[in-house]
Amino acid sequence: MKPAGYCYIFGMGMQKAMAYRADFFLSLASCIFPIIMQAYLWTALYAAGAADTNGYTYEQMILYTLLAGITSRIVATGFENDVAQDIKDGGLNKYLVKPVNYGSYCFAQFAGSKAAAVGFLLAVTAAVLGGASLLLGIPFEPVRLALYALSLALALVLNFSIFFTIALLGFWLTEIRQLFGTISIVIMVISGGVFPLDIFGPAAAAASAVLPFGYTTQFCVNIVNGQLTMGEIGLGFAAQLFWIIVFTLAHRVLWWQGAKRYTAVGG
Amino acid sequence: MEIITVKDLTKTFTYSVKEKGLRGSLRNLFARQTRQKTAVSGISFAVDQGEAVGLLGPNGAGKTTTLKMLSGILYPTSGEVKVAGYVPWERQREYQRRFAIVMGQKTQLWPDLPALDTFELNRRIYQIDAAEYQRTLDELTSLLDVRSLLQVQVRRLSLGERMKMELIAALLHRPEILYLDEPTIGLDILSQRSIREFLHYYNQQTKTTILLTSHYTADIEAICPRSIIINHGSVVFDGPLAEVSEVFGHKKLVSLKARRDLDAGELAGFGTVRRLDHNTALLEVDRDGLQGCLQRLFGALPVVDLDVKDIPIEEGIAYFYRKAGVGAQ
Repeated sequence: MKPAGYCYIFGMGMQKAMAYRADFFLSLASCIFPIIMQAYLWTALYAAGAADTNGYTYEQMILYTLLAGITSRIVATGFENDVAQDIKDGGLNKYLVKPVNYGSYCFAQFAGSKAAAVGFLLAVTAAVLGGASLLLGIPFEPVRLALYALSLALALVLNFSIFFTIALLGFWLTEIRQLFGTISIVIMVISGGVFPLDIFGPAAAAASAVLPFGYTTQFCVNIVNGQLTMGEIGLGFAAQLFWIIVFTLAHRVLWWQGAKRYTAVGG
Repeated sequence: MEIITVKDLTKTFTYSVKEKGLRGSLRNLFARQTRQKTAVSGISFAVDQGEAVGLLGPNGAGKTTTLKMLSGILYPTSGEVKVAGYVPWERQREYQRRFAIVMGQKTQLWPDLPALDTFELNRRIYQIDAAEYQRTLDELTSLLDVRSLLQVQVRRLSLGERMKMELIAALLHRPEILYLDEPTIGLDILSQRSIREFLHYYNQQTKTTILLTSHYTADIEAICPRSIIINHGSVVFDGPLAEVSEVFGHKKLVSLKARRDLDAGELAGFGTVRRLDHNTALLEVDRDGLQGCLQRLFGALPVVDLDVKDIPIEEGIAYFYRKAGVGAQ
């Protein structure tokens, strides 16, 4: 299929996300509540003097929490349950008989289904950055904002690749949804989506630099909040691309092997 | 000219079994027992271009598994298949553009959007020229009488309407080969008839090769001049459906109605009593002795109505369904 076809799937993904109004608006609202709760939690911890954050000031922590919360929701997946279900109950059939690439099809649909929410979250990000600039006097360089946007796009692709690879394990593990729940929470934490990993010291920071997960959230946030030098940002982009290639190759191998095992149950 | 060639095709699945109850579940957690099931066992057949062939068989006979291998969904355990020169499970794009599959219990339509959106998507997937697409869509929606439903969310359509939309989605790219897996399952009589008539017309007009599985004999009779009966994964009959009951060709059914109640004892001398209900009875008699039997019946009983019929096709099919491990005829 030509790229225009995948663009059409992107559009259908958007339409599907907006087919049910209440669900659509509630899903937007639900993006914000957990972030606000985390901000209140840090406020309480700092007020009680209980926050041991390895040098982060209250303002820095709140800004990180808000930006990381938003970023992790921008890159969050959710399609993996559909993939696992397709493999388990034979829904994959309709893709296997058509001249389409299943991974690209899923990505286009996933990106389309997120587009409206991403637009909303980017508006919230702009409000957070504007507020931080006005209230805290933190300057945000335009070049960092542009690099943040680029890192977000790559983070979205990387997170998709990670979860698509995990979802393809469904060819071997018939029921995999419990695994998704566990992995999502773990990845949310080790990607820096809840708090900056360097509050645990240099070892945690080094581990997050080596693993792919930090490049889906913490790396993006640290671009915009000025924690990274331009050289570190360049290395971060290289790491994002590296992990995208690794997971793309991994899911191609899994797809190739898995499609041979596929049992296409059901009539 | 042969378009589908199947030779010694076999598919074996591995599945797990569990003893009943909690103990079985616990044991299953740590020591899973597996079994092998041969769904398709070395079947061979060929289909000519433009032919409409019905695949019949009881549940679990291997019909759907065969279609899944022909469409490239499943890899076989062994055997060879060539469809239009392609090996289906290699999933070559050129092959995928030349066939379509409709599965009665699966959908390719996006349930939360109108069918028209899926049709537009298929136009892009199969790279159909816009004018050609519009012509085909107009023709199919008119034939199936669903033009007014194109903008209705798929999940709001009735089963019959949805199946018509599935057929349109499958035929937009004008496939040369159409695999149909129980396309009328669960439909009401009118919808079944409408889909049968459409498929028969479409096969006649376009010479699209059709391979159809169905539990409804009427589907096969209406659409397919040739039938293949599969049982226990093997082909047990291959020929026109009307010939299925020739296995009972030496038998006839005599349905009679008398002026008074009948009893089994007085009928036993004429043939096998299949059914007896007050003054009506159904007898199975030898074809060779039919004339004498009828004369004796009229002489011995106060007959008011009598009808002689062939053994129904369904009984021939049931015979083949029960018959296992028999080579193709």
